[in-house]
Amino acid sequence: MTYAKLQKVNMKIALEIDRLTKIYEGRVNALDGVDLEVKDGVIFALLGPNGSGKTTLMRVLTTQFRPTSGVARAFGHDVVREDAQVRKIIGYVPQEMSVWTDITGFENLLIYAKIYGVSSSSRNKCIQDALQSMGLEEVEGKLVKKYSGGMIRRLEIACALLVKPRILFLDEPTLGLDPSARKAVWENLMSFKKEYGTTVFFNTHYMDEADLYSDEVAIINKGKIVKFGTASDLKRSLHSEIISFLLADDQTGMGRLFRSNVLDRIKALNLVDDAVVHGTVLDVTVEDGEVALPAIMELLNCEGVKLKRVKATNPTLDDVFLKYAGMRQQRNQSGYHHGPN
Amino acid sequence: MLECVSKEINQVTTMAPTESLREMFAMIELEMRRLRHDRTEIYTRAVQPILWLAVYGTVMSHVRDIPTGGIPYIDYITPGVLLQSTIFVSVFYGLTIVWERETGILKRLLVAPSSRYATVIGRAIASGVRATVQALIIFPVAILLGVKFISNPLYILAAFLMLFMISGGFAALSIFVASLMKTRERFMGIGQAMIMPLFFASNALYPISLMPPFLQSIAFVNPLTYAVDAVRGLMISGNVTNIFADFTAVIVFDILIFTAASISFRKIIE
Ligand SMILES: Nc1ncnc2c1ncn2[C@@H]1O[C@H](COP(=O)(O)OP(=O)(O)O)[C@@H](O)[C@H]1O
Ligand SMILES: [Mg+2]
Repeated sequence: MTYAKLQKVNMKIALEIDRLTKIYEGRVNALDGVDLEVKDGVIFALLGPNGSGKTTLMRVLTTQFRPTSGVARAFGHDVVREDAQVRKIIGYVPQEMSVWTDITGFENLLIYAKIYGVSSSSRNKCIQDALQSMGLEEVEGKLVKKYSGGMIRRLEIACALLVKPRILFLDEPTLGLDPSARKAVWENLMSFKKEYGTTVFFNTHYMDEADLYSDEVAIINKGKIVKFGTASDLKRSLHSEIISFLLADDQTGMGRLFRSNVLDRIKALNLVDDAVVHGTVLDVTVEDGEVALPAIMELLNCEGVKLKRVKATNPTLDDVFLKYAGMRQQRNQSGYHHGPN
Repeated sequence: MLECVSKEINQVTTMAPTESLREMFAMIELEMRRLRHDRTEIYTRAVQPILWLAVYGTVMSHVRDIPTGGIPYIDYITPGVLLQSTIFVSVFYGLTIVWERETGILKRLLVAPSSRYATVIGRAIASGVRATVQALIIFPVAILLGVKFISNPLYILAAFLMLFMISGGFAALSIFVASLMKTRERFMGIGQAMIMPLFFASNALYPISLMPPFLQSIAFVNPLTYAVDAVRGLMISGNVTNIFADFTAVIVFDILIFTAASISFRKIIE
C-alpha cells in the first residue's frame, strides 16, 4: 500500500499503537509491547489494576515522553516526531488534580483559552459552552478551592473540552469521587460526546465504568493488553457462569472448607474452572451449571459445610477481569454494586 | 469549531513566536489574577524588608564608619532591601512549580500546544512581574521613612526595569533548582540556603571594598551586586557611570539561566 493510501485509511482510526514499550530508568518494564487500535468516535476504556501501565501509556500518547520503542499515531500523526501536531488535536486530564485552586473556575478556563489561542471574539462563547457542557455555570465565579471533588473534575474536563479536541484523554476520570459525582461527570461527558463526536480514551480500574460507558474495552495487565473487545464480547467470551454459595456464617463450616482442601477438590471437579472465597461467599466458575451444581453440593455436604443460599449468575466484566488480569476488584470500592449478592 | 481544529492540523508549522508570546502573556495574567484574589502574601512579605529599613537602617545610620559616599545609611541600603524582597519572591517561585508538578498542572501545561521554553520563560517573567509589584509596595514606605529618591522618573523606571530583570532571572534559577530538587522539603532547604549568602555576599548592605578578599570574589560573580549597583545609581546616588556594565552583566545572567532552566524543565515531569 502506498503511503497516501495508508493515510486515507487512517482517517477512520483515531489511535494506532504498535508494539509500544516503555522501560523506566532501564528497570521498570511499564509497557511491554502494546498493540491497540481505537476507531474514530468511540469511547474507549483501558481497564487495568494499579501499576498495570495505564498512565504510562496515556502519557506516551499525549506526547509527555517518548516510548522506549514502538510507534503510536493519533489521526496519522506520530506522537514522537509530530508531537506539536498531536498536541493541537488532543485534550487531556491527568489523574492528579490539574487546575489552579487560587483563582475562579472561569479564570482557569480563560487562561487555558489564552494558552490555546482561542481568538478573543470566540473566547467567551467557548468558555460558556465548556461551562455548560460540564454543568458549572452556577459556580464559575467561585474560587476553585471552594469546589467539591466532583466539581473540580468537571472543571478539568471543561478545560480539556474548550478547544473541542478530536481525542479526549482522561486518566481515571472519577477516581475518588462518590457515586453521584461520578454519575454527574459521566452524564455530562456523554452528552458532550453525543454533540461533538469526540473520541474518548479513558483509563479506569472501575469495572462498572468500563461496562456502562465504553464502546470498547481493552484490559491491560503488567504492561500488556490481555483482552480487547466490547464489554459484552468480553463477557460472552467466558462461556461460563458463576455459582455463588452463601455459607452459613459459623466458624466450623468455614474451618472445614479450608482444612481439608475442599477448595482444591472443587476446582478439580469436572466442568469447574475456578473457585474463590470472599468472606462468607464461595464463588465457583463453571461451564455448565446444571451439571456441575449437584456435584459441588454433594462435596460440600460430605464435608459438612452448611449453606444459606445458592445463586447462579452470568459473568460480569469483573469476572472477565479476574480471568485475564488475575485479580478481582474490591467490590465496595466501586460504588455501583453488582454481583451475586 | 471542529472544522477550525481540523484546519489547524493541516497547517504543519513549527511553533510560531506569536504562540510563545501568547503563552507568556497568559502566564503573566495568571499571576496577576492570583495576586488579585489573595493580596495577603504580598503584604506579609513586605514586613521583613520594611523592618530592615526602619530598624536596621535607622540604627546603623548612627554608625559613621560605613563609607556610603555621603549618602544616609538608610538610603544606601534601600536598593538592596528592595532587591532582597523581590528576589525572595522569585526564589520561592520554584515552590509553585514543585507544587504544580506534584499535582497534574504541569503535565497538562506540557500537553498544551505551546513550546516548553515559552512555559518556562513565561513563568519566570510572570514571577518577575509579581516581584516588581512587591517592590512597589515597599517603595512608598521607604519614602515615608525619609529615603530621598532621585526625582527623574526615567531613572526610577530604569531601576524598576532592573528589578524586574533580575527577579525574572532568579525565578528561572528557582525553576531550574525545582526541576532538580523534586520534593518541597529539599527545595525549601536550598531556597533558604541561597538567599542570605546572596544578600551578604553583595554590595547590598556595605561596599565591596569593606569585604575580605574571599567574599569580594563571590560578590564579583554575584549578579545581585550588579543589580544593586544599578538600582542604587538610578534611585539614590544618581551616579550611573557603571550602568551599561551592570545591565550587561544582568542580561548575560538572564540569558544563561533562562537557557539552563528551559533545558532542565523537560526533565521535570518524567
Ligand atoms: N516516572 C516513573 N518512574 C519509574 N517508574 C514509574 C514511573 N511512573 C510509573 N512507574 C512504574 O511503572 C508501572 C506502571 O505505572 P502506571 O503507568 O502509573 O500504572 P497505572 O496507571 O496503571 O496505575 C508501575 O510499576 C509504576 O511503579
Ligand atoms: Mg494511573
